[in-house]
Amino acid sequence: MNKKLGSFVVASSDQCTGCKACEIACFASHNHKDNKVVHTVGTVEIPVTPRLFLIKLEDKCLPIQCKQCEDAPCLNSCSAKAITKLDGTLLVNEELCIGCKNCMMACPFGALEMFPIAQKGKAVPQIGSDEPRKAAFKCDLCSGLENGPACVDACPHDVLKLMDLEDDRKEKSIRAAIALTLTGNL
Amino acid sequence: MIINIDKDVCTGCRECAEVCPVSAIAGEQGKPQEIDYDKCVMCGQCIQKCKSYVSIVDHGTEAYAIKRDERNLPSSVLEPLFAAYNNCNLDKVKAALADSNVITMVQCAPAVRVGIAEDFGDELGTLAAKKLAAALRSIGFDKIYDTNFTADLTIMEEGTELIKRVTEGGQLPMFTSCCPAWVTFLERNYPEMKDHLSSCKSPQQMGSIFKTYGAKIDNYDPATIFTVSVMPCTCKEFECNREEMNSSGFQDVDVAITTRELAYLIKDMGIDFNSLPDEDFDQPLGMYTGAGTIFSVSGGVMEAAIRTGYELITGKPIPDVDVSAVRGSEGFRTATLKVGDLDLKVGMVTGLKNVIPVLEDIKAGKLDLHFIEVMTCPVGCVSGGGQPKLLLDSDKEAAYSQRTQGIYDHDKELPLRKSHENPAIAKIYEEYLLTPNGKESHHMLHTHYCTGENDHSK
Repeated sequence: MNKKLGSFVVASSDQCTGCKACEIACFASHNHKDNKVVHTVGTVEIPVTPRLFLIKLEDKCLPIQCKQCEDAPCLNSCSAKAITKLDGTLLVNEELCIGCKNCMMACPFGALEMFPIAQKGKAVPQIGSDEPRKAAFKCDLCSGLENGPACVDACPHDVLKLMDLEDDRKEKSIRAAIALTLTGNL
Repeated sequence: MIINIDKDVCTGCRECAEVCPVSAIAGEQGKPQEIDYDKCVMCGQCIQKCKSYVSIVDHGTEAYAIKRDERNLPSSVLEPLFAAYNNCNLDKVKAALADSNVITMVQCAPAVRVGIAEDFGDELGTLAAKKLAAALRSIGFDKIYDTNFTADLTIMEEGTELIKRVTEGGQLPMFTSCCPAWVTFLERNYPEMKDHLSSCKSPQQMGSIFKTYGAKIDNYDPATIFTVSVMPCTCKEFECNREEMNSSGFQDVDVAITTRELAYLIKDMGIDFNSLPDEDFDQPLGMYTGAGTIFSVSGGVMEAAIRTGYELITGKPIPDVDVSAVRGSEGFRTATLKVGDLDLKVGMVTGLKNVIPVLEDIKAGKLDLHFIEVMTCPVGCVSGGGQPKLLLDSDKEAAYSQRTQGIYDHDKELPLRKSHENPAIAKIYEEYLLTPNGKESHHMLHTHYCTGENDHSK
């Protein structure tokens, strides 16, 4: 059964130290196959392109990533129809993306970034320029990858959580119902 | 400085402070950290842990190349750069290799052969001793020698020293002295216990024989020899620069580079590591036994010493060459071994934090052991600060156990597994060193402590 609401990863505690293990894990898990990234740093030959972003505030920090919006501004604004929704997750097709940045403008969370795309450990060049081709990078919940989402696993302080709000809402409702029965006011 | 934290890149997460065995990393949470160099033993575990990288998002697209230059890394390096890093000396190695008047000799620590292939995409802990020898030859070193040989030499000296201390009444327990971070820690914090340290130099520094015996056998002028060591360790660079490490009449080891830096050099020279043929180290100073190999795992120096010590004391072959009683990865473990009439009581410490209670117990007269092996890094040198760095901490356990297994597999497959059976060892004593712990070997292979920067009595 398809879920009614898309799941998403979110920082769910204030224990984040800002170590960026999540960003590194995100990058590694997305580049095992196409860019020969294996277990060690020495196997990386391309810039680190994470799909979540550590944000440092005055005295706190936490990573920000896509909320997999239901009426997604990124999808709605995409001029190249490169963003699609599959089982509640918003995915960017790098081949179709032209880097117009509409999605970046539209996203209220700053959850997308334009990064150079790479294949086989090399930047993919543009046809008419020496610059590498860029595309929108965003959290895809490690769609199609084993043991995802990688960031949730990698966090040493269990800051990140994969939220399934339908289950979450039900759980909360049940707790509320139990609380009501205990008050004896039914 | 050997170990550095880049203020522009550090997020102040303090994850490194959690792994630092000597609490040398200071700073407020969320602010760039600083290293207290009076405390830092240069083990490099912070480098292994740090995940805060030079990022396009936070530092811009130009920052990477600027940082790479600042850190003296070759421009062929493409991998992410992190806040915690070690000083890179590849420029000195490349200059020596490019100079046709210089004879370059390289030695390679045992742990490098189960690490290096990881940086070329192989599975964690892949044993690549023969590809490693081929890579060093392709790079252009004139002599491909081996720290495993000098580890065998260490056993001859250290085993003899232990027997002497036990039978003639020397300072006990005797501590191993192979790990320069441990030696530095003791010198700075427990200088009153320095006589417990074996007077043996580490295997790297027993490389003093390269510029002496090694020069002699090939008729090289020692003044033209440049020696490089490849180590799983960031502290070895400190060790080779110690002022007393010049028994050969020159600096015995000119430069120490890490396993990771060797991978940079291989890539920089355009060598395709994975398609290299299997080759051997050069003879005679590249000949080694299984005992030399296991120096890189916790309990390994102890096991190698027992394999030889048993036979030197009893005159009989050791019943089982696998001394499983001393193996393991627990922070501190002890074993009692029957060696002829002697009950040899030994201890193994791995992870520097675990040595403090041991030292305190010895001082309080509560610990009765003959010989204690101490390694700073979590499971010995295979987990050293200069080894290939893992992208994910969740791979750590597999990396440690597979690298350890790779070392034991190599030990098992070697035709000789006891240091004293190494024919090149017999030969160097016959032709040059004469006798273990003798006059010449004392000059070349032994040292003293609490000198230079580590003389805290000043």
